[in-house]
Amino acid sequence: MPRRKISEFRAKQMVANALHAEYTGWSIVSDVSLKDTLEALDAKVLYVVKVDQAVKGRFKKGLVLLGIKKSGLKKAIESLREKGYDSFIVEPQVEHDQSAERYLAMTLNRDGTMIAWSEKGGIDIESNQESITSKHLDDKTNWTALAKATKLTVDQLQALHVMLQENHISFLEINPYVSSEDGIKILDCAIEVDDAGAYFTHAWSERDIRSPKSGKQYEEEILVRRLNAKSPASFNLSVLNPDGAVFLLLSGGGASVVVADEVYNQGHGKQLANYGEYSGNPNQQETEQYTSALLSLLLASKSKKKVLFIGGAVANFTDIANTFTGVIAAIDAVADSLRDQNVKVFVRRGGPRQEIGLAKIESALEAYGILGSVHTPETPLTEVVRLALEEIK
Amino acid sequence: MDIAKLRRLSTSTIILGSHPGIVQSILDYDYMTGREKPTIAGIVTRGGRRTERYFWGETEVVVPVYASLSAVSEAKRKEINAVLHVQSGRRVLEGMKEAFDMLPKLKVAVVFAEQTPESHSLELGKIAKKKGILMAGPASVGIVIPGVLKLGAIGGTQHPQLVSARVFEPGDTAVISTSGGMVNELIHTVTGSGLRISFGLALGGDRFPLTSPAEAFLLAEKDTSTSRIVYFGELGGQDEYEIAELIKEKKITKPVFVYIAGTVADLFEIPPQFGHAKAMASVKSETASAKKQAMRDVGATVFDSFSELAPALKELASDRVELIPSRLIGDRRKFQLISHLSGDSLTGDVQLLGRDLRETVEAHSYASLVLAMLLGEKDINAPRLVEFTDYVLRLLVDHGPYVSGALNTIVSARAGKDLVSSLASGLLTIGPRFGGAINGAAGAWLTGVSSGSDAKTFIRSQAGVIQGIGHKKYRLDLPDPRVSALESFNIKNGRYLTFARDVEAITTGKKANLILNVDGAIAAILLDLLESELGYGPEKLRELVDIEFFNALFILSRSVGFTAHYLDQRRHDEGLFRMTPEDIRYLG
Repeated sequence: MPRRKISEFRAKQMVANALHAEYTGWSIVSDVSLKDTLEALDAKVLYVVKVDQAVKGRFKKGLVLLGIKKSGLKKAIESLREKGYDSFIVEPQVEHDQSAERYLAMTLNRDGTMIAWSEKGGIDIESNQESITSKHLDDKTNWTALAKATKLTVDQLQALHVMLQENHISFLEINPYVSSEDGIKILDCAIEVDDAGAYFTHAWSERDIRSPKSGKQYEEEILVRRLNAKSPASFNLSVLNPDGAVFLLLSGGGASVVVADEVYNQGHGKQLANYGEYSGNPNQQETEQYTSALLSLLLASKSKKKVLFIGGAVANFTDIANTFTGVIAAIDAVADSLRDQNVKVFVRRGGPRQEIGLAKIESALEAYGILGSVHTPETPLTEVVRLALEEIK
Repeated sequence: MDIAKLRRLSTSTIILGSHPGIVQSILDYDYMTGREKPTIAGIVTRGGRRTERYFWGETEVVVPVYASLSAVSEAKRKEINAVLHVQSGRRVLEGMKEAFDMLPKLKVAVVFAEQTPESHSLELGKIAKKKGILMAGPASVGIVIPGVLKLGAIGGTQHPQLVSARVFEPGDTAVISTSGGMVNELIHTVTGSGLRISFGLALGGDRFPLTSPAEAFLLAEKDTSTSRIVYFGELGGQDEYEIAELIKEKKITKPVFVYIAGTVADLFEIPPQFGHAKAMASVKSETASAKKQAMRDVGATVFDSFSELAPALKELASDRVELIPSRLIGDRRKFQLISHLSGDSLTGDVQLLGRDLRETVEAHSYASLVLAMLLGEKDINAPRLVEFTDYVLRLLVDHGPYVSGALNTIVSARAGKDLVSSLASGLLTIGPRFGGAINGAAGAWLTGVSSGSDAKTFIRSQAGVIQGIGHKKYRLDLPDPRVSALESFNIKNGRYLTFARDVEAITTGKKANLILNVDGAIAAILLDLLESELGYGPEKLRELVDIEFFNALFILSRSVGFTAHYLDQRRHDEGLFRMTPEDIRYLG
């Protein structure tokens, strides 16, 4: 759905390919690829091993291991796996002159591609913002001047631009690279792709996409991701605080953020257990699965007080009676536990067949003894959030 | 494009893709605004159906379905000025580019799909701007202009929802939102506060919306019916800075009420991806807090909580008399199980072709009644066509006991089966090799003439046998007398028969018995007469081929022959039919 990072390994391969530069590296995502890499490594060379999972500030977090020998690779990988990561990149360790590090970026924006470059590349680029020059690429672009400024050739720059345009790449950053008589060396590189373009390119695929989160994923998050991949409707769920007090079962990309905002604005941000939403008129079974995943997180929370807010804005086409039937089925399965934990449930929702959906859920919650209150769109969305928050004060 | 122009538009919409719920809600809106007919001119979707049934108020209406935009007649395409694209994100670029090319009067389009590639949106946006087309999306629930237009799910997909959203009576508050759910919430908040909307526009939550928030603000500024703007934005992107700049430069002067969602992201080092594609702040300026501040700095009313919006709007509302839609829809909606043209007994009397059964029957000859019913026409004013049909019905009545269908009837009759079973066994034999060639021939002549190519090119394009050509016995020097008789009905310069004769001229050059046969001649002459006397164009004729109209005459006529064979067998009562070993070649 949004712009997403792909692995450093794939990014470097693509860039090297476009620049006709040499690249040596291995990607390790499994025991099989670990074995293959070990076979390819040279016992006399020192290697660098990095977590390849779109994590920012890897050096500071100790996710880059330097001077690794072939014999030490397995152990190095194991030590990183223990920290919860599962995707790595291995490259020969190369010495280079740090003062020659350069920065280059290309970004897709509304008017086309913006190119940005600096002679002062490297990890401190953020503090060297003023050294960055940027320009729009269009028919009038003076490529020769750009080539001179970036120490790349016109062909190389244009090849990068074509690579962006043809492969649904929204953002490319090569930082740093070193250009010398020996050619171009790409030391680090990041690519953000537009994942809606996956169907139209062979340069990268869904498998290359890396999530910025650490390897530690809740079972419920994985389940929801799978549900999302299978369904034409959309589902997402992120655990923010596993021992939180406020659980949200939300619908709609916009309204869900409004609700989360309100929790934060009312000073309960730290107690917010999750963010997530479903939209696009999912069927009963799907909403049941999604709700079950959320309820399992709720029941596992160590918080003494817990509240569940169900709802969203006035839906355009999501059938409220249908989706709520799924929600009720999931609640029904754990209703006793919810009552034992003294959970209260608040509902506010509008949309197609809202009368049926709201009436059903109200009588179900009442029967289970976990009813907070149920509201039609006549009550503003955020008012009901406030009512729910009263419960945990 | 501006909103005022859309208000004056006589809307004619094509739906690209299938989404019955949304289509019905647009029809409901049209009906409730008091329109005489729906704004939807057709649906383009694959799946082989010609029509889809919907409700118009509480009665049914049929909406035409086309397999592609090119299947819509050119005349009709020239009337289309609105498009609603409800196919998948992959198909957005391809589908909309085709719409741009084929719909010269297109003024407004909505793209519903999520997951449209960014570069595709950018490309479409450029073309739309050049052509002056207002576009909303991708991932937009649409545009609503009270009393005029509802393009998309916006406002709701059920008619009671539309009533409670109060989107029939025009007002002076523009609602602009990047979120589909929230646009509806905003509309409810605005109208619930006593105000009414001048228009509602869902831009979609993608990074590069086809109409940007700033452009939408300029639309509202230009629109003289609008006196204030209510806006819902989100974290991510830089759009709100553009709006702030416009306010600063006094290009936006109308009061602005803003909610920007996503302050919750401040809680996290790496925030989760929020609901919409662009809702991710990668730099500080893209956070909700920073954007809210920028809007505040230029004097916009910015709300921290959504709850503050309704009271603020209430202060602006004056007392008003609640207006209801021109027409309401009751709950007595039921799809009829079968739709039909041929008979109708709603009044208790049996009706046929729109009139009392007896009256109709007495006004028609048998052939004209058959023709009217088979064509689904109430009145047939086509004397020559009726005469020809009568002749064909007589001509095809029987061709002796030798042919497959008659033989099967006879075999069944002699096995002691009843009339209906024996007749059915004969009828079930009719197909591509026996009796079913008229339809195939009609399809061939139609294809040949429509393609505009000459007979030679046509023959080359046909793999194998051309239906309607070739006879076992008759040849060039021994013409089929029935074909000559049929030809006396032909009109002058009938283009289908001319084409069939052109084809024959070439095929007989190869082999003397590849002449135009009875099936081919009937097909060609029927096509010519349907065209000249009833004004049927190629599209309509193609429909007749697709529904097997041309075979119907053979089936009807030959039923008499089969029935006669049955009765004949029963009269003679020859006993069970059995083959002898001499008739069978043993391959073992």
